[in-house]
Amino acid sequence: MKVTSIFVAGALTLALTAPAMAARDYISIVGSSTVYPFATVVAEQFGKTSGSKTPKIESTGSGGGFKLFCSGVGVNFPDITNSSRAIKASEMKTCADNGVTEIVEVKIGYDGIVLANSKTVEALKLTRQDIFLALAKEVPDPANPEKLIANPYKTWKDVNSALADTKIEVLGPPPTSGTRDAFVELAMETGADTFPVIEGMKKTDKEGYKRVSQTVREDGAYIEAGENDNLIVQKLQANPTAVGIFGFSFLDQNADVLHGSIIEGEEPNFEGIAKGAYPVSRPLFFYVKKAHVDVIPGIKGYLAEFTSEKAWGEEGYLADKGMIPMPKEERQLFSKNVASLKVMDMK
Amino acid sequence: MNSIETTSDLLKPTTRLKRRYRVERWFKRLGLTAIALSLSFVAFLFFTIFSDGYTAFKQSYIELEVHFAAEEFSQEKLANADYPGLVKHAMRTMFPEVTSREGKKFLYSLISPAAAYTLQNMVEADPKMIGTTQKVWVLADDDVDMLMKGKIDRSLGEGNRRVRDIQLAWIDRLESENRLETRFNKTFFTTGDSREPELAGILGAVKGSFFTLLITLSLSFPIGVAAAVYLEEFAPENKWTDLIEININNLAAVPSIIFGLLGLAIFINFWGLPRSTPMVGGLVLTLMTLPTIIIAGRASLKSVPPSIREAALGVGASKMQTVTHHVLPLAMPGMLTGTIIGMAQALGETAPLLMIGMVAFIVDVPGGITDPSAVLPVQIYLWADSPERGFTEKTAAAIMILLTFLIAMNSLAVFLRKKFEIKW
Amino acid sequence: MYSYLLPCILLFSTGAYYWGASRANSIAEASGGMRSLHSLPSHYGMLTALSSALPALLLFIIWQMVEDTIVTSLVAKSLPAELLQLSANELTLVLNEVKNVAFGGFGAHNTAPAIQTAADLYLSTRSWMRNLLGMGTIFCCLVPAVIAYRSINKDLRARNLVEGTVKIFLIACSTVAILTTLGIVLSVVFEALIFFQSVNFSDFLLGLQWSPQTAMRVDQAGSSGAFGAVPVFVGTLLIALIAMAVAIPIGLLAAIYLSEYASSRMRTWAKPMLEILAGIPTVVYGFFAALTVAPLIRDFGQSLGLQVSSESALAAGLVMGIMIIPFVSSLSDDVIHAVPQSMRDGSLALGATRFETIMLVIIPAALPGIVGSILLAVSRAIGETMIVVMAAGLSANLTFNPLEAVTTVTVQIVTLLVGDQEFDSPKTLAAFALGLLLFVFTLFLNFIALRVVRRYREQYE
Repeated sequence: MKVTSIFVAGALTLALTAPAMAARDYISIVGSSTVYPFATVVAEQFGKTSGSKTPKIESTGSGGGFKLFCSGVGVNFPDITNSSRAIKASEMKTCADNGVTEIVEVKIGYDGIVLANSKTVEALKLTRQDIFLALAKEVPDPANPEKLIANPYKTWKDVNSALADTKIEVLGPPPTSGTRDAFVELAMETGADTFPVIEGMKKTDKEGYKRVSQTVREDGAYIEAGENDNLIVQKLQANPTAVGIFGFSFLDQNADVLHGSIIEGEEPNFEGIAKGAYPVSRPLFFYVKKAHVDVIPGIKGYLAEFTSEKAWGEEGYLADKGMIPMPKEERQLFSKNVASLKVMDMK
Repeated sequence: MNSIETTSDLLKPTTRLKRRYRVERWFKRLGLTAIALSLSFVAFLFFTIFSDGYTAFKQSYIELEVHFAAEEFSQEKLANADYPGLVKHAMRTMFPEVTSREGKKFLYSLISPAAAYTLQNMVEADPKMIGTTQKVWVLADDDVDMLMKGKIDRSLGEGNRRVRDIQLAWIDRLESENRLETRFNKTFFTTGDSREPELAGILGAVKGSFFTLLITLSLSFPIGVAAAVYLEEFAPENKWTDLIEININNLAAVPSIIFGLLGLAIFINFWGLPRSTPMVGGLVLTLMTLPTIIIAGRASLKSVPPSIREAALGVGASKMQTVTHHVLPLAMPGMLTGTIIGMAQALGETAPLLMIGMVAFIVDVPGGITDPSAVLPVQIYLWADSPERGFTEKTAAAIMILLTFLIAMNSLAVFLRKKFEIKW
Repeated sequence: MYSYLLPCILLFSTGAYYWGASRANSIAEASGGMRSLHSLPSHYGMLTALSSALPALLLFIIWQMVEDTIVTSLVAKSLPAELLQLSANELTLVLNEVKNVAFGGFGAHNTAPAIQTAADLYLSTRSWMRNLLGMGTIFCCLVPAVIAYRSINKDLRARNLVEGTVKIFLIACSTVAILTTLGIVLSVVFEALIFFQSVNFSDFLLGLQWSPQTAMRVDQAGSSGAFGAVPVFVGTLLIALIAMAVAIPIGLLAAIYLSEYASSRMRTWAKPMLEILAGIPTVVYGFFAALTVAPLIRDFGQSLGLQVSSESALAAGLVMGIMIIPFVSSLSDDVIHAVPQSMRDGSLALGATRFETIMLVIIPAALPGIVGSILLAVSRAIGETMIVVMAAGLSANLTFNPLEAVTTVTVQIVTLLVGDQEFDSPKTLAAFALGLLLFVFTLFLNFIALRVVRRYREQYE
């Protein structure tokens, strides 16, 4: 009987604390876990200074974000989705099919992708060709450059005699990750182009070219770690011979224990990535539903906060968090687009 | 056994008897070792968490002399005043020798961005402050905090740490002037999530977890017990009952994220309940913990000896009276155990909440079951994935809070279990 | 008044209980004692209480679910014509604004007059409807209770009625499990079917390579995307086996010691301490496995000259085993504890040592419960994600070597679902197919387990 009365009391408290389903008076944002750390800073700043409710930001991954975002116009659907890649044609079609016809695209900045290892050993000095040779599934046969063979390289020294004689062990994101996608395209594909045999395939066998230049080896040298970058950082400390691939902001925060590998003479630092000299970085975006802008309170304020110089400018607080700002002209262009809510061309 | 022994032989320990006793002793020791081993795991995990997290309960503060210049508040709204500017001005007056642009940037970065909010709240609470100069303790930046707690090594070269040499000198000066000190971190217990480690608090997640678990417990315990009782005591032995039984066992093995998909499809898309709220979270976790409670409940009902039922039925009790008056009270300890384990699982679960939008950045502390909120494991997961070093200790501290929550819940159940337990 | 409805209902039904019970008592007195009644007075009380609470609660719950829809649709009808032209989804946005204004959240200063009117209408409609509901609920509370009260006489079969109602409730509760299963199957099967349109079913079921490296953008040609589920399932089995090899012996020995040897004080303390293991967040275990156990195993293995990868199934499995110890220990302890003392006494009186008693008498008697607890532990091991992501990685190797990196079904499902690729690609849909396959697979295992338990179950007394 006592137990029953406890439950009755519990149910009663619940019933009393449950207000009628109120309307939504906060911005709902979904999307990429890469943009999440930046969008949240803006949201917090906006919420603390404007007096509006702080936007709710879910970390769902870019794909899941678009799935929710494109489900329709209405209060049950998110207002904004963050993405670490541009929207795809198929997603635009889903959006249009569900009545989401007016979308404003905003590019917010860049995220550098770095290779890094423990400070107890020397930093790697790599070219993109080295990266390709170390990580691709198939590479040109050193004995017969016209033939492709399964990647035979076991140590960095095998790849390039100037490198250390340690086992190739790279911790990186899984194939479902946008970080991995960008890394493959920016680092490996360019590296693959340095070989005439693969470069030649570009014209004759496009499929094959992509397959060779973008497939990562699966024999244990490349270890698919989860997307928890802090864990990769700690694993690198525990295992000095391993190299990790992750976002620049984690290198920035852990500069006392890790150093970034130098790629084609460029150190992965703030200036290098912002100038575009460091070759491996990718743009970050968010997308806004125009139909929601006037109806859900605060969207305009949030957009204005995000596109203000004190947020995404060169000296802004997003840069302090490790996001690489866009050049001035690009910033001006996008903040103008946002101010006028210029919608995307939906083919 | 098959040899016939004389009486005097029986009194003498035979080799066989000795061996049997030896086995007995070894078995007992083995059991004790198993417990000691498991408890040492608990102790070890507690120790790691505690040693990482106890520093989070302290926080560094810096004292500023802020001049609330009247001309700064000429705008019609107090919220529009340039509070960060006031903080910067106060820092410049304290260190007038810093003039270079870069130097100023380093200087300003000693103070948390939260300082501006502190000033804003002060002015809004008491507008008479405008035009005066006040001594204000504001939060130090997380890097300063980490340095004060010894998590940044001063002995490393300048390039290898996040605090510059010149900042070190300023910090030492502040410390010698008693303008920098660490105090009990009240913020951690009174605010919601934040992207600044020094401002991040656990209250939002604690309340979210509380609401979520309240719903889970008040639904899954009665439903679980009722289902277990029906299946074990009333259900006819047929294919249909077998089907339900296999089904429930099977549900226990369904990965928790699938329950999230189910919740998304039914509770959010079909019923139209609001996303990211404890209501939906509680419902999903109810479905997830039900199999655990039902299986444990059935196991404990099975262990009630049939003689109890026969005795009750024999004196004329109805089937329902037998169950509610005699069988259920005896099976209660086992059911409570199942509930504890199920609740512990619900308290620590992140994956299903991902699909229903509870893995989210939510600053405002929820006030009820229909406000968006995070829960403790989600907060831990999000903090563990944040780049800022200051979040490491916050993560461990949040785990400590979660464990406190868990232990409180367990002790209640242990108390109840103790009350119900009978050995016969 | 609205927020007091629920307490009111409860109060009414409590009153109805005593009212009904007292009537039964007085009838009993009038007709020659309690024995003349068909049921106990408490049954009559319960019947009155149920007939007052159930209809009212039902009305209240239904209202809770439909209130918003009804009020909103009434308000929507009164909106100006140009707003009614909007599509259904856009209309929800307008109505959201109406509600925001009605609850005074914000932005009241520049509201369009039409919206303001609608907001006022919303509030007034809601308040009169709630008043109506209040009266309806009280009606539903009182009238059936009075009818039940009046029908009480010494021949009324109150016990059967009450017990019948309770039994219906019990049956309803046990069908929740069936409904859940149905829901799960429905929520994965459609996406899984779309997946099987692009990937051959037999390739998925029997394929020996798992590598979802398909293209993420249109301008990338599809590279090798192999969706063979075998390595993923082998990895799951391997890790679950290692975990069980840790959890079953430790958990079972601990359970036996606690219930058979330990003093009752130790049992009260040690058992909840062990249960904490199940409640420590899996992130903690993940870090523990990845940063403490895995390097230990690697260094130890290398000192023996073995090839050990930094991410190993062994590390993940061992730590997972620790996590599920309480599933085995606590639940088994309860069932062992519940074995009647007379069986122990009987066995000991015949001269068996305690070890022999435990092995030959107690364990067989407690077997169904122990198997249940082990099944639960296995289930938890199969469903666990975080430890494996952090310690064993995501590479799907087809191997039974515990020193290599493997991956599990749940890990793949989670990474596929939260990835950056678009949602209709085979990559994401594969998660649904994996979920479905795992579901069928565990269903099969459980079927076998049920058969085994039936066969070996021993019922004493």
